[in-house]
Amino acid sequence: MYEWDFSVIPRNIDLLLLGLYGTIKVFLTAFAIGLPFGLVLALLRLSRNKIVSLSASLFIDFLRSTPALVLIFWFFFAFPILIGLMVQAFLAATLTLAIVAAAFYAEIFRAGIASIERGQWESALALGMTYTALMRRIILPQAVKRMIPAFLERTIELLKTTPLMAAVAYSDLLFQAMDIAQKTFRPLEVLTAVAGIYFLMIYPMSLGVRKLERHLAKSGESTVH
Amino acid sequence: MPKAVNLLYIDGRIMGNNYNWDFNSILINWDVFAHGLVVTAQLSALTLATGLGLGFFLGLARYSRHQIFRLPSSIFVEIFRNVPALVVVIWFFFAFPIVSPFEVDAFTAAFLAISANTAAFSADIYRGGIQSISPHQWEAGRALGMSYLTIMRRIIFPQAIKRIIPPLTGRGIEAIKLSTLASVIAVNELLYAAKQLSALNFNPIEAYTTVAFLFFIIIYPLTHISYFLERRFGLSD
Repeated sequence: MYEWDFSVIPRNIDLLLLGLYGTIKVFLTAFAIGLPFGLVLALLRLSRNKIVSLSASLFIDFLRSTPALVLIFWFFFAFPILIGLMVQAFLAATLTLAIVAAAFYAEIFRAGIASIERGQWESALALGMTYTALMRRIILPQAVKRMIPAFLERTIELLKTTPLMAAVAYSDLLFQAMDIAQKTFRPLEVLTAVAGIYFLMIYPMSLGVRKLERHLAKSGESTVH
Repeated sequence: MPKAVNLLYIDGRIMGNNYNWDFNSILINWDVFAHGLVVTAQLSALTLATGLGLGFFLGLARYSRHQIFRLPSSIFVEIFRNVPALVVVIWFFFAFPIVSPFEVDAFTAAFLAISANTAAFSADIYRGGIQSISPHQWEAGRALGMSYLTIMRRIIFPQAIKRIIPPLTGRGIEAIKLSTLASVIAVNELLYAAKQLSALNFNPIEAYTTVAFLFFIIIYPLTHISYFLERRFGLSD
């Protein structure tokens, strides 16, 4: 019978906290880059210029249909050679996660913007508004409200992809856990505890999104997916 | 750190912007990629069949009126939905063998982890589809003297399937993408093949670009099939 010994967790709590810090840092950075980039991609995709919209949609589709881990490896091992610069694991992985998240955010933005009735565009144009003013003051405020659930879900998904960074040896929570597991010969306890930490981070967020979704459905707000 | 990267760090100018692409090293080793592709296909097919199958029963159990079915299935679904897939893969490879009654190799670990993830997500898709059918239909079925199984098989499921299939194809695509996680625990699938080849031939650019495109040409048509199904079933409702 295996004897569990969870004392390795408190003994290595400093390393785990350091890993958690790394995870949160990557998550927030990728989010901060991915969100505005996603909006830009969505606007490019909605552009009336065929070439612009086609290349934007090809870019989005490529990122959406290639596994994130392949892209991380590409950015970490291949990209540096192409540009002739050393790229740190943090930068490679954060950029990849940000770009992938941007592609998914772009689709949500696009669906949100497309869900606003044609009439609103026309009336704003009739009032003499510029494209920027119309987007900023009429379309986006309404579209954003409809996108919130899908958008939050995607953000949780982004947090769930951060452990991929461990594969390029960035010291996030998973990487620290594997390191501790190796040093202490207690993989069962360490990895179970770390799975628990991820669960405690992500589960409340999922519950919150579900609650919000139900609330919006009840109050009759339409949402996009 | 692969040597190629260190090398260029010392003299980035040489390889820098006029890098000579050389896909010969890929073509010569096409059999390595082919083998990787076969393992990727095997892993994806096994996890899809197991995950989507198990997910169906989990979905039914989560919808059940009996606590004894509902509670364990809900715990399973919430755990595997909310713990990142790579953490689960690592757990099944490094931690699970300690308590497992059977031998767990890397392929089995990846198979168990990705199947569990797929099952958890698809369970909610099945449940959502079944719950979307009006409860009156259940009552009508019962009034006709049908059993639970008959109502499910002949009335509810044929209608629910239309709402289930589009998101389920999306989940299937996700499972294929997740198969790359197996490379982290050295399962010899496509991404791992590229990793090994690039370390051997110093051609990470060509190797990873090839793999990225291989995945793209497999998954891109599938996403379009899923959009098509969504439109198709959306119209007929």
